[in-house]
Amino acid sequence: MSQVTLRLKQTPDVPLEAENITPDVLSDLPHDEIRALKLQLGKRTFRIDEFFEVEGERSDQVELHGDLKRVKWLGRGMTRGRLVVHGDTGMHLGALMKGGEIDVHGSAGDWVGAEMKGGLIHVRGDAGGQVGAAYRGATVGMKNGTILIDGCAGLETGMRMKKGTIVVGGVVKDFGGLQMKGGNIVMLSGAEIRTGAWMVRGTIISMLPLKLLPTFRYSCDYNPGFLTLFARQLNRLGVSLPVSAAAGVYQLFSGDCSVPGKGEILVWQPH
Amino acid sequence: MVLVDIRETKSVKASDIFLQIRPGKDFEVITILRALVKEQPVDESQVQETGLTLEQLQDFVDRMKKAKFGVFFFGMGLSMTRGKHMNSAALLTLAAELNAFTKFVAMPMRGHGNVTGADVIMRWQTGYPFAIQFGRGYPRYNPGEFSTVDLLVRGDVDAALILGADPGATMPQPAIDHLARIPTICLDPKVTHTSRLSRVHITTAATGISAPGTGYRMDEVPLPLRPALKSPYPTDEQVVRRIHEAVLKKPDWLQQGNRMALNQV
Repeated sequence: MSQVTLRLKQTPDVPLEAENITPDVLSDLPHDEIRALKLQLGKRTFRIDEFFEVEGERSDQVELHGDLKRVKWLGRGMTRGRLVVHGDTGMHLGALMKGGEIDVHGSAGDWVGAEMKGGLIHVRGDAGGQVGAAYRGATVGMKNGTILIDGCAGLETGMRMKKGTIVVGGVVKDFGGLQMKGGNIVMLSGAEIRTGAWMVRGTIISMLPLKLLPTFRYSCDYNPGFLTLFARQLNRLGVSLPVSAAAGVYQLFSGDCSVPGKGEILVWQPH
Repeated sequence: MVLVDIRETKSVKASDIFLQIRPGKDFEVITILRALVKEQPVDESQVQETGLTLEQLQDFVDRMKKAKFGVFFFGMGLSMTRGKHMNSAALLTLAAELNAFTKFVAMPMRGHGNVTGADVIMRWQTGYPFAIQFGRGYPRYNPGEFSTVDLLVRGDVDAALILGADPGATMPQPAIDHLARIPTICLDPKVTHTSRLSRVHITTAATGISAPGTGYRMDEVPLPLRPALKSPYPTDEQVVRRIHEAVLKKPDWLQQGNRMALNQV
């Protein structure tokens, strides 16, 4: 199967804005036109081939190699195809994306999948802050889609998200699910403080006990029915959630009553 | 007057009520207040952890609701503890929500210098108060991405012009290290921590003493400043204008469409 491979020649000194590196743009272009695509470095525009070695043409299967920590906006607004990154990526990875798949074999910067509407992002390393969040001044963050972070996630994960799923394998930093309006966040290794602050709706599921704000109330112990279905869906993505009542029970906390909100935080308690 | 602080300061004498909270509990206290304002129940055992009792907070809320015109004055201590901008956001939200009951505003207590002036001018020029990027010829705003301290800590800039500030004394060490690494130009009347580590230090006249200017009061009222002394040094404005003129004479490497942005300066 044909694919487009881009190899970073050297890490730029200042951030490189590369919103043109998406399967949507690359899938229709011949080799020469891919090489001539524009990148923004500081105030100047450059051709892609000044920073990347380009192989292949006309494919929505895109592979990137190199230390891309300073490369921003990869896969911005993509609707289809697959973007595989071997190395770390910069900010705004898959921001505003609508479909397709991003797979990062490394860590990612802030704003992973910010305001995304669909598709799948899998970061094998750590992610920065504001995963699936709303940009400053916007009222709604991610509206659908799935983000899987194998490592830790930064501040304000899922800030103002409305729908969709975020799964974090490592510890989530402060303000996970801040002002959440819907959707699900799964925290497989728990979180630091202020989880679910100001949440309106939505569900946060944690495998470890959480330090919650005083505005959350303990409601009951139960095994929610929807979790069986949700766990089956997550299983396909390689994430396993305990659902058996024989193994344990979920503590339900509701809040944040400072809003006042109807969000729920489920904390797993094994027997 | 209600004073909220982590320790007894000199202002305690002037206040009617002093609420001593535990360090790093700002966000929790304000979130509890937001809940109490809306008469929502709060977990009492966890309230204790803030260093205050539920009665104290309830009394505070009742007083705020009864006030005819309330104002929160908040200092830099709020945004320097864990939670940072969210602590300020919490207080602003509380002030906004109290307007359902009475008139309430929040006003930051500014540090040294013309901080309010910088915010006000940036706001009417670009629509944003700080953390603005002009790289594409139009202003983009994203604190955390384009804010000075974050850019310096990540090492995302390769030159810096410092004007009317001394980041060398206040910013975290990685940011200071990066300022020393890159070509930094500092405009300041005095020798400062920043001027010592910068590549170029241009001595300027002190605004308000030997140069005219406008200072903005904390409540955003502009005050014209008349100089009392004469200075052999140029003002900040003259230096920046001369740098700009010299830059304009350089060969044009801007892309089409960006020329406009440059000519408007």
